[in-house]
Order: sequence, then structure tokens, then C-alpha cells
Amino acid sequence: MKITDFSQPIRQSSKGIIIIFAFNAYKFFKRFFVLFIAFGVSLARKKTFASLTPQTIILIIIGVLIIILIIAILKYLNFKFYLSNDDFHLSTGILNKDNTIIPKSKIQNVYIKQNFLQQIINVVSLNIETAGDEKSEIEIKALDKATALLLKEELFTTSNIRSEEIETNANVRVFFKVSPKRLLLEGISQNHFRSFIIIASFVFGFYYEFKDYFRELKLKQRLEDFITIDGDNIVNFLIINTLFIIVAIIVSLFFSVVKTFITNYNLEVLEHNTKIEINKGLFNKLSLSLTPNRIQNLIIKTNRLKAYFGLYTLSVKQAMVQAKQQKNYKIVAMEKAQTKNLVLKIFKSYNEDVKAHKPKKYYKYILAYRALLLTCILNIPAFFLFGNKFWLINIVLVFTCFLYVTFKYRKAYYKIDEEYVTVGRGYIDTITEIFEIHKIQSIELKQNLFQKRKNIASLNIATASEETTIPYIDKTDAMLIYDYLLFKVESQDRDWM
Amino acid sequence: MFINQQVEIETLPKLSTIDLKPISGQYFKIVIFNKLIIYSLFIGLVIAGKFIVQKDFFQTNYTIIIGVVILCCLINFVLARLAFKKRKYAIRNKDVIYSKGLIVNSITTVPISRIQHIEESRSWLARQLHLATLKIFTAGESGSDLKIDGLPLEEARQINDFLSNKVNENN
Repeated sequence: MKITDFSQPIRQSSKGIIIIFAFNAYKFFKRFFVLFIAFGVSLARKKTFASLTPQTIILIIIGVLIIILIIAILKYLNFKFYLSNDDFHLSTGILNKDNTIIPKSKIQNVYIKQNFLQQIINVVSLNIETAGDEKSEIEIKALDKATALLLKEELFTTSNIRSEEIETNANVRVFFKVSPKRLLLEGISQNHFRSFIIIASFVFGFYYEFKDYFRELKLKQRLEDFITIDGDNIVNFLIINTLFIIVAIIVSLFFSVVKTFITNYNLEVLEHNTKIEINKGLFNKLSLSLTPNRIQNLIIKTNRLKAYFGLYTLSVKQAMVQAKQQKNYKIVAMEKAQTKNLVLKIFKSYNEDVKAHKPKKYYKYILAYRALLLTCILNIPAFFLFGNKFWLINIVLVFTCFLYVTFKYRKAYYKIDEEYVTVGRGYIDTITEIFEIHKIQSIELKQNLFQKRKNIASLNIATASEETTIPYIDKTDAMLIYDYLLFKVESQDRDWM
Repeated sequence: MFINQQVEIETLPKLSTIDLKPISGQYFKIVIFNKLIIYSLFIGLVIAGKFIVQKDFFQTNYTIIIGVVILCCLINFVLARLAFKKRKYAIRNKDVIYSKGLIVNSITTVPISRIQHIEESRSWLARQLHLATLKIFTAGESGSDLKIDGLPLEEARQINDFLSNKVNENN
């Protein structure tokens, strides 16, 4: 049923009960997850748990579920919202009644989400974000899609500009749509090291939580038996390690690909006249809109492998967006030309062909010193791990250091023109950051004692969402840039948002 | 209306020509007080260690260990004294500048048009010494906020009024 009149207090779709119930039940079971495992294990061993019979426990669980259901129904009945003039009103609460009023002009973001359960029963949730801390977010958990879209539009149109806005919405153009093949490539070319760390920390966390049960399984002893079959034999040791590494790589690869698919399934970028919209997600469908004047920084990322496949990622950093939401404003697997077009769409007069300046050579030496210091430190654990052959790892380490310094220096540059600052950096990734000069919030010139002797300084430039560093440039240049940027910000009287 | 005048880099207001003003010397008393608390904590820990730690190595080299700790405290104190002189600030018509640091020197500027709000805070010690701390908040990352310690109370009030007026004008 599509609701078109928002002026009277209305409830969300009655399916909302299911969503609230499922959400609360999930939260409840998640909190007592460990207890349930303990219960299962001790039940398997002794047939009882804390002197309760299985029947009683099942009754308790059913009782809890019924309570959760009642709470869900009450929550649903007490959740009402309506629009009046230019305000959004919301009343919630079973015992403590809360009344929230948000002026439309203060709404920062409205986005539509759909998780797996919501997809099954065909509803969407609508989130309203305002500036301020994390608690200021409002979520309407169950609306049918047509209503949600209409409400979203209503929220974005204040009474005086309504007619204009409706006109522009007719002009929707699909700017970019990702193909499964490109997503697969994107997944493969991801940083698998990160995936590996996620998996490893998950496994360790799991192990730590259930240490006692694992101990009973004598897992450790079995593992040790397995490893120490021919412990002295270095070849065996190497083979086991290589196997382990290969398995880790395959698991990480698989994890990366699946993760990329789940978060970016059916990614598309739509272009309205004034707004840009991003839709994506498999289990959690998201619909986000970008408003150009709120955008602070654009970050384009690629790496050697990705550049070979022609894959570029564009992250859009907006002011007043929570960190959790921030990572969703990421468009992956674009072609270079598409990235360029999108940048031009957001920053209208952006021009790439400005002379790029590089940090001083001294930056290279500092990077080298730092990398070599780390190498020296890494030698200590290597000595304990590999004994007298420890120096062999230095061949690998020094080579890595060399690559690190060369690439890091090669990729570092900065460009400044009338309106924009562009900064390049990265080691494995190639990162390009772009922001508008009039959105600068503060500038810092930093110089340590060693830099002072060489007359070198670094600049930190902060916008409302990101701090960008221009490292190790000539101090006189740094001062000129400092003065120039300040002059630009202070003489223009343009708003940062 | 947008006027795109040509910018002569040489004629821009220069950072290097600004007279930065040092903060009140009184504030060093607060720095000393805070440092003393930390030093006594460290030295106290080492002294307590003499009665708790039973290792031979620790007991035989006790004088050296406590000497090193005291020396570290002394060096830290000298550095703090030298760094204190580097804490300077300036208010211009359009921005606020703060400079600090001996080993890593930094000069931060916040344009007045980017200030979100200003906070004046005074600890118990600062109240005794008639000092105040001005915190200037921007919408940027937390790192881009400015904090000027040890301003004479009268001056802090004046700056606060001046900036507040400017900020309100802009809105």
C-alpha cells in the first residue's frame, strides 16, 4: 500500500513488527551467544545446565521470545511520524515517550537500506541523518519502497523549491553500472593482507572465547604432534609453512572476492541534475545520495594490478557523515575515463593539467632511514626465529625497503591551481586526493629540528572530513602555499558547506 | 559576483612578517606543576621498586637506574622550558595563528570564517594565576582545532569577544 499523505501521523508498514521482532531477537541472542554455547556443551555432557532440565530451558526461551514479540508490537504501535510545514515529526517510546522534530533544512542525508530479511518481506528502511553525534540518526525500519522514495523526496524538498525539484527528477541518467566481471577482478586485485588479518583476528577471537572447550579437544597437542614430525628438518618446516601460506592466500582471496560481491553487488551511479545517487549491495541494499556542496574530498585509489585491469576506486568524503557510513560512499571498479568524468561532475572546473611539484629529495632519505631502522629492529625477532641464518631475511627486507622508498617517492606530488589542491601519495596503492581550496578549515606548517637545518617543512591541510599532508617541501615554497591558500580562503567569503 | 583577479604572490599578506606574541610567563608555573606530578610518579615508582622487585640485576644497579630516571626528568624539564618560549599566538583580522614546539615546530592557522565555536576553559590553578585557555573549534578533523593555553584572563576575554563578534557577523 502506497502512502501519499504524510501530513497525518502514520505508522510504518505492519510488516515492521516482524523487522523489529527479528532485530531485537537477534540482539538478544547475540548478547547471550556465549551462554548458549556453554549451555549446549554442558547439555551434551551432563544432560543438565545449572540444575535446569532442557524442557524448562526451552520454556524460558519461548517466554523470552514472546516478551520480545510483545515489545515489538508495542514499539510498532507507538512509532508514528508525519510531516508538517517544513518539519519532520517522530514520536516513539512505550513508557518514555520521545518526540523528535527535525527541520527539513537540518537534514544532512536520507538513505534507503534493505537488509536480507527486509528483501524477503519486501520493505525498505529509511534513515535520516542530521548533523551532530551518532545518536541523532533516525531509522524507520519498514516502509514499502514507493512510500520510502516519496518520503525521501518530500524530505529533500522544502515548500518553496518544490516545483523546481520535481522537474529535475525526471532527468535520471545511469552514469555507471558495474559488471560482474569487473567486480570479480576488483575482488581479486584487493589487498588480501587486510582480508587475512580480518580472518586471523576472527579465528583468534573465536579460539580465545572457547579456549576451554578447545582444550578438551586436545587440539593443541594434535597440532604439535603434526608439526614436530620432523621438527629439525628445515625443508619440512619450509614445506609446512609454504602450505600454510598458500592456504591463507586462497582463503583470503576467496574472502575478498565474496566480500566485494556482497557489498558492491549491482553497484550503479545515477546522475540527477543536481544530485548523484549510489545504489549497491546484495544482502544489504543501499541507496545513497551525494550533494555536491557537502562533498569535501575526493580520493581516487588504484594499484599497479588494478590499473592494469583498468579498475579505479573513488571515495567521496562528505562533511557530517559518520565514520561508519563514510565507507559506503565508495564507488569501486570504475574505468579511468569514468572516474575523470565523475570528478568533473562534482568539481566542475577541475583541471588535471597543472604542473605537478615533487617533495624534496630529502624526503627519500628520510623514508630510507625509517625503513632501514625498521629492518634493523626486525632482525631481532628473526634471530630468535631462524637462528644463525637470520641474515638471509635481510635480502628480502632490503629489497622491500628499496621498492618502498622508490615507489613512495615516485608517487608523491602536489598540484595547486586557482580552485583545487591535488595531492598524490601511496606505496602499493596509488592515491590521488582532490579538494577545493575554499573548503579548507585549517592549515598547519610543521617542521622538526632536522628539517629546519635543511630548510624543509611539511604542510597539513584539513577540510571538514580529511587531513591531507604535503610532505617535505622547501620551506619558502611551503610559506608561499600557506599564504596563498589562506588568502584564497579569506578573500572569497564562500561557504564550506 | 565572482571576480577572478590576478594574484601577485609577492603582494599577499605574509606569514613570515607577523609578530607572534608569547603567551603569559605565568603559565609556566602550571607546566612545572603538571611536570612535577609526572616526575614524582616516575621516581616514586622506582623507589617503590627497590622494595618490591627482588631481581639481583635491579638491586645492584639501583643507583644507575634511579640516576637515569632523574636525568631523563631533568632533560625533559629543560626541553619543556625551551619549548615554552616557542608557544606564541597572533590574531589577525581574518584568522587566528598559533605556533608551538621546539623539536617539532608547528604553525597552525584557522580562518575566522571557519570557526564553529569558541570555548574558554580555566582549571583551578589557572584561576589562581588569572589565566585562561581558549579552545577554537572548526568543523574539521579533531586535529584542526586550535587550543591556546596560558592567555592572561583579560586578553582571553577580549579575543573571545572579538572572535565571537566576527563569527556572528559572518553568519
